[in-house]
Amino acid sequence: MRAGFADIALAEWIKFRSVPGHLYGWAAAVVLMVVMGALTAHGAAGSHLAAPPAERASFDPVFTGMYGGFLFAQIAMGALGVLSVTSEYATGTIRATLTVVPRRTRLLAAKSAALGVIALVTGLVAAPIAFLAGQAVLARRGAPSAGLAAPGAPRAVLGMALLWVLAALTGLALGVLIRRAALALTVLVTLDLLIPVVAPRVLSDAGATWLARYWPPTAGLRIIATVPDPALLAPWAGLGLLVTCTAALLVAAGILFRARDA
Amino acid sequence: MIVIDGLTKRYGDTTAVDGLTFTVRPGRVTGLLGPTGAGKSATMRLILGLDRADAGTVTVNGRPYADAPRPMREVGALLDARAVHPRRTARDHLRWLARSNGVPAARVDEVLWTAGLASVARRRAGTFSLGMCRRLGVAAALLGDPGVLLLDEPVNGLDAEGAKWIRELMRDLAAQGRTVLVSSRLMSEMAQTADHLVVIARGRLIADAGMDEFAEGEAGIVVRADLPALLADRLRTVGGTCRPGPDGALIVTGVEPREIGEAALTTGVVLSELTPRRASLEQAYLDLTRDTLEFHAGSGKDAG
Repeated sequence: MRAGFADIALAEWIKFRSVPGHLYGWAAAVVLMVVMGALTAHGAAGSHLAAPPAERASFDPVFTGMYGGFLFAQIAMGALGVLSVTSEYATGTIRATLTVVPRRTRLLAAKSAALGVIALVTGLVAAPIAFLAGQAVLARRGAPSAGLAAPGAPRAVLGMALLWVLAALTGLALGVLIRRAALALTVLVTLDLLIPVVAPRVLSDAGATWLARYWPPTAGLRIIATVPDPALLAPWAGLGLLVTCTAALLVAAGILFRARDA
Repeated sequence: MIVIDGLTKRYGDTTAVDGLTFTVRPGRVTGLLGPTGAGKSATMRLILGLDRADAGTVTVNGRPYADAPRPMREVGALLDARAVHPRRTARDHLRWLARSNGVPAARVDEVLWTAGLASVARRRAGTFSLGMCRRLGVAAALLGDPGVLLLDEPVNGLDAEGAKWIRELMRDLAAQGRTVLVSSRLMSEMAQTADHLVVIARGRLIADAGMDEFAEGEAGIVVRADLPALLADRLRTVGGTCRPGPDGALIVTGVEPREIGEAALTTGVVLSELTPRRASLEQAYLDLTRDTLEFHAGSGKDAG
């Protein structure tokens, strides 16, 4: 009998749920998603109502109701991905793991699968709640809002769950590549938050425009957009770009993971 | 059975393991003995594929360890007992290990009993003493009922009771026909458990012999005579081996004291001392590693 892929993935699931810190991070991701999403929607509704009519036409209630929450939730999920690897290096359990599962590519694939499923299921729970909370806030403030059956809304909610998976896997890959929590988390925040949010304010217009269109985490968020914007990628093109970059990061992590001493 | 052939590993400028070749056979406890920095831990990591060898090969039961269909069934290892997540309970630590290789969950409770940890199974590993961590490490190593066990300094830092438990366990496992490789810096420790010794220093093989041979190899008869060269020539013709000892004495091996007396009579040499000496294991070990140790201290590097 050969120890199967499912066995390794289930072992990773036991590892995940048997450390309390992971569970707090997990809960924090859901809470941040809903609460920060609602707060962002609240602020955006006010701006919208004060804006001139020309700008009001491009208001996207679905995007506005969820993206703010995701900016925070992606860091929480990414941090879980980072810590699921760096805590193994910090405590030395990576040697126990590689002793019982010496096939490293297989191990990394199983870790990715376990974390991916955790993120997907959580995202599938958090996204509709965040969607409904965000829309409720918009409606209360008198801004346009959408229902779950509105055009593009189901795609946005399911796409949000996929963004959770990609955020977690990005963290996992960074953890494997960098192996130290502090540096990996700094890189994670830089990629997911500082570059998309801060860089456009300090870069030239051309640079900012390029980043808004092609920076993978920003492009990926297009999957929750329901109002087309010619300056930005289409929903699936944006998500595709993020998927490709995340996969490339994981492949790089896999190559380094195989080559290095544990 | 572990077969190590020409194994070499460098960390930066330091060669931790240098062309090492030896075989670890089943049914006995093999001691891997060497001073700090000799390459013992590195050798164990290389056997498991945790570190990649720069040259040479290691096989466990005839194939590279990573090719084992169920690795836990093949090898159980105790490398660093403190390498557990401090926030995870002992039982959860064993549960994920068992799950990874499809080992039934009931086996977790069995090894917890064997290791004497059943009553603390639900405590977080971070609250464990070193002795309890060792027991947890042993429980993890036994989980897959492996044919090969690797234990890196398992007794180091343990109290007398814990040390006795591990020594008896190693002897039992070997008696069951398993392959047991245990490392130590101390000959006194090896003398209590090992049947066979592999001595390394600075990553090189220094001796690979049974415990008995090891002691005998350094034994000899101290002989003082008025004409030692003449006596030595005579002894060589009857199968003796002579080498110079302290203060002009001869250390003679390969012949009995009576034969030395006869040789003295035949050649007319006057004997002033004839002392059978059985070198202590500790002395034999120190003699073997002395040269490398001096060089080691001089080089100011530690291979870890």
